Amino acid sequence: MNVFLLILHGLCAVALLGAISHQTVSAWWPARKAMGFGPSFRAVQGAKFTKAIVILFLITFVLGAIIYPPYRLHGRTYLETMRMWTVNGSFELKEQFLALSLGMLPFYWHVWRQPLDEALTLARKMSSALIFFAVWFGFITGHVVNNVRGIF
Amino acid sequence: MLSARLTPIFSAAFAIAYVIAEQNNFALFTYHPRIDEWGFLTQAPRNGPGMYWYGWLGTSIVAAGAVTAASIPFVRTRSVPVVIGWAVPLVIMVLFVYLLRAFFFR
Repeated sequence: MNVFLLILHGLCAVALLGAISHQTVSAWWPARKAMGFGPSFRAVQGAKFTKAIVILFLITFVLGAIIYPPYRLHGRTYLETMRMWTVNGSFELKEQFLALSLGMLPFYWHVWRQPLDEALTLARKMSSALIFFAVWFGFITGHVVNNVRGIF
Repeated sequence: MLSARLTPIFSAAFAIAYVIAEQNNFALFTYHPRIDEWGFLTQAPRNGPGMYWYGWLGTSIVAAGAVTAASIPFVRTRSVPVVIGWAVPLVIMVLFVYLLRAFFFR
């Protein structure tokens, strides 16, 4: 069951990465015309991703919280035994960054609500960028931790 | 709109409450994964490690909710700087990098 939930957690994280990356890039570096891969990636309407990002974040977060105890019992113990402090510390940072993102979610949802308020442009850019950073950091760290210990 | 003034307060209060809860281990509840038991508030580990992260989240949600609710009478008549909604979590993120630096410099 844990393996199934871990894979589901990873798949939801991939979907979340795609959505938050599209939104963040479109907010910071918008493209007027969708010509070619790069401009097409940036030319999305960021606001349309907001609900999906909130829902995917919550699902991924809850799944991560469910599979956290097996990591605490087996994964972290292994990292400590092997003195892999950088990996261990990265996971500690991951849990703090994502917890802070969870607390920021109502604010994020508010600033991206349509019709978009021009006065909240910077808040939209920054809240998306912080969640973008936390999600990417969490994904890479989770991937590395998983590779260190394996899923079985 | 009231939510426009309350969400930055919740975001900032949550971040501050979280770093205080994490640094002082103010957990609303403790999970003992080895024996699959939950306990109220911060408890000593039982038959294995104790997990406090869920409790820190609980503490932060309750504290941020209380601060937000308490601020309602004030924000009805005053504006709230939107910048606190993202700047405070950003500062706390950087602070956590500093607080956890020992992991990376052993």
